[in-house]
Amino acid sequence: MDPIILGVAVVNGILLGGLYGAVALGLSLIFGVMRVINFAHGTFLMFGLFIPYWLWQLFGINPYVSVLVAAPILFAVGYGVQATIIAPLFKRERAMVLEPLSVLLLTAGVGLILDNLTLMAFGPNVRAVQVRFASTSLWIGETLSINVPRLIAFVASVAIAVALSLFLSRTDLGRSIRSTAQNRDAAALCGINVPQIYNITFGLGCAVLGIVGCVMVPFYYVSPTVGLAFGVKSFIIVVLGGIGSIPGSILGGLILGIVESITAQFVTATSAATFSFLIFILVLFFRPTGLMGLKV
Amino acid sequence: MKRLLCGIGICLVVLALSSLTAVAGEKVDEVRIGIVVPLSGIGATVGTQMKTGATIAIEEINAKGGIKALGGAKLRLIAGDSQGKPDVGASETERLIQRENVHVMIGSYQSATTIVTTEVAERYKTPWVVLASVSDRITGRGFKYVFRPCNMAAYDANEQLQAIKHLTQEFGKGPKTYGLLVEGTEWGKSHAENVRRIAKEIGYDLVLDEAYPPGQADFSPQILKIRSKRPDFLIMAMYTPDHILFNKQQMEQRLDLAFGLHSVGSGAEDPAFYKALPVQAVEYMFVQEDFQIDITDVAPWTQAIDKKTREMLGYELNAYVAQGYSNAYIIADALERAGSADKDKIRDALAKTNITSGPALITGYQKIAFDATGQNVDSHGVISENLKGKRTTVWPVANRPKGIKPVWPIPAWKDR
Repeated sequence: MDPIILGVAVVNGILLGGLYGAVALGLSLIFGVMRVINFAHGTFLMFGLFIPYWLWQLFGINPYVSVLVAAPILFAVGYGVQATIIAPLFKRERAMVLEPLSVLLLTAGVGLILDNLTLMAFGPNVRAVQVRFASTSLWIGETLSINVPRLIAFVASVAIAVALSLFLSRTDLGRSIRSTAQNRDAAALCGINVPQIYNITFGLGCAVLGIVGCVMVPFYYVSPTVGLAFGVKSFIIVVLGGIGSIPGSILGGLILGIVESITAQFVTATSAATFSFLIFILVLFFRPTGLMGLKV
Repeated sequence: MKRLLCGIGICLVVLALSSLTAVAGEKVDEVRIGIVVPLSGIGATVGTQMKTGATIAIEEINAKGGIKALGGAKLRLIAGDSQGKPDVGASETERLIQRENVHVMIGSYQSATTIVTTEVAERYKTPWVVLASVSDRITGRGFKYVFRPCNMAAYDANEQLQAIKHLTQEFGKGPKTYGLLVEGTEWGKSHAENVRRIAKEIGYDLVLDEAYPPGQADFSPQILKIRSKRPDFLIMAMYTPDHILFNKQQMEQRLDLAFGLHSVGSGAEDPAFYKALPVQAVEYMFVQEDFQIDITDVAPWTQAIDKKTREMLGYELNAYVAQGYSNAYIIADALERAGSADKDKIRDALAKTNITSGPALITGYQKIAFDATGQNVDSHGVISENLKGKRTTVWPVANRPKGIKPVWPIPAWKDR
């Protein structure tokens, strides 16, 4: 294979992989702290894309500025969903570990309802923002072009991951979240308001999607079913990188992105997807806790 | 609540009365046309467009004095909702034939539904004029009462390649190699198969044969692959979301193909597609259209129908409105020649259809006449090229608006 083509494929894979990782961050955080598999994750990403779209469509606001609106809204939505819909389940099963199946069905149900409400409100049409900078590319030689919004999205993805890690390790709230993740009962004994921490964690996981949506929307499209493409991939990434691990999430995303990009050069895209799942199975086989997951 | 019940009661009485008169009216004072299309569920937008087209045509015909050979009999459209499901379509067809005593029927968009509904109609010896179902099987079963004015599936691929062949002759420059980029489910794969077969006959070499699962997050790997294999032109079959993403990315990455992108429609026929993209992202792209997209420029009389469609639906005349409209006129033409509302006489008149002018040709065909299987062999779509942000018909030449010169080969991005 032509080394230039291979190089371009790797660069494309890294750019895409960073984004995959950022989308999976929230899922990983929520699962790591609460042991809740959030099946509505794709739906929240869809919200994260629709908010900057409408702000652009109605008021002409630059999608990057919309982060200031989208992230708080998504935080509120996540906080609200956890506090009103999922929290009662925790209360009911206070003594035990949360029954995974019931939460899974609950979040899947929330996702279905929100998806279909969006469908009713906006119709099935596929939409996209049209901003001039969306088509600007940096050219390195004749073949390697780096789309500027994709580069921004990659940088933002890494920045979100770093910020989130720092937040978790350096702030009081972050420490509370980590201690809750490690041992819920001990954390409660130390005076941490566990239900409150859960609400905040869920809100944070969704707020990340608010930011990701805003940096994605210039080069992507918006539709009520847009989350589907990222939903399954996010699960693979979380397991690949290690559940609850922030750097693991980005690493998992990068691996998936690069594998997809390179294998697609050798085989057709429908077969290339097989390789992603093959890696997934291999990791589960040899390192069930994920590449950067803690040994339990 | 009382009022509501009262209203429902009145509705029921009116309904009962109207069905009574329908049964009683043996003397032909109206001809009932049944339409079975999806009015809810998947495909509801398209079904509504078809019904709107037929409604506009029937209003026109009635306003001009109805069917003259039947003493001015009026046409009436009676709708059944298939919900896009074959079984529901079949029972609705049965209801329209048995209860509503329709004389002739049209429908049903989704091929899977049409295959079943036409079977029911054939059993009741009720003539059926197919609406926008392309599966080859529909006219391939030796049915006597089924007529299809529109394209068969295999026509699409042929039109794309014939247009390329024609442009090559017209400009003295043409491609040698091509690539395929299609969505990897039924539609994309069967289209790819047809393209491969016809391209081989013409003598184009396949250098890239690529399918992808619908719902892509990124087309960079595919675009890179196209860049390294360098086909002269690319044939695409994509649904709207993927089509939008691909067109954006080929613009960002300045993908040059000497003889262009050729989309077989679907995504590129969706009005939402053009709203979502800047003009540069679609410029010079060729699209296989199911009807003459710039008909209002070529045939000014269609502007009135375009206006009516905008009033009724809120957007412009499209392939499906046009086919609903055309089918109503095909039936009116047959009724005039049959001089009777007898189903067998209507069937015989439909079989002898030979329309070469008039409103039935709103779809852009030169002629409507059915062969022994009931297929209109003169049906065709058109190939449009996006020129300065407008989809302009470039093939067949008979449909090309005056003064239009296609751009061939396609200028490289750096020269645009």
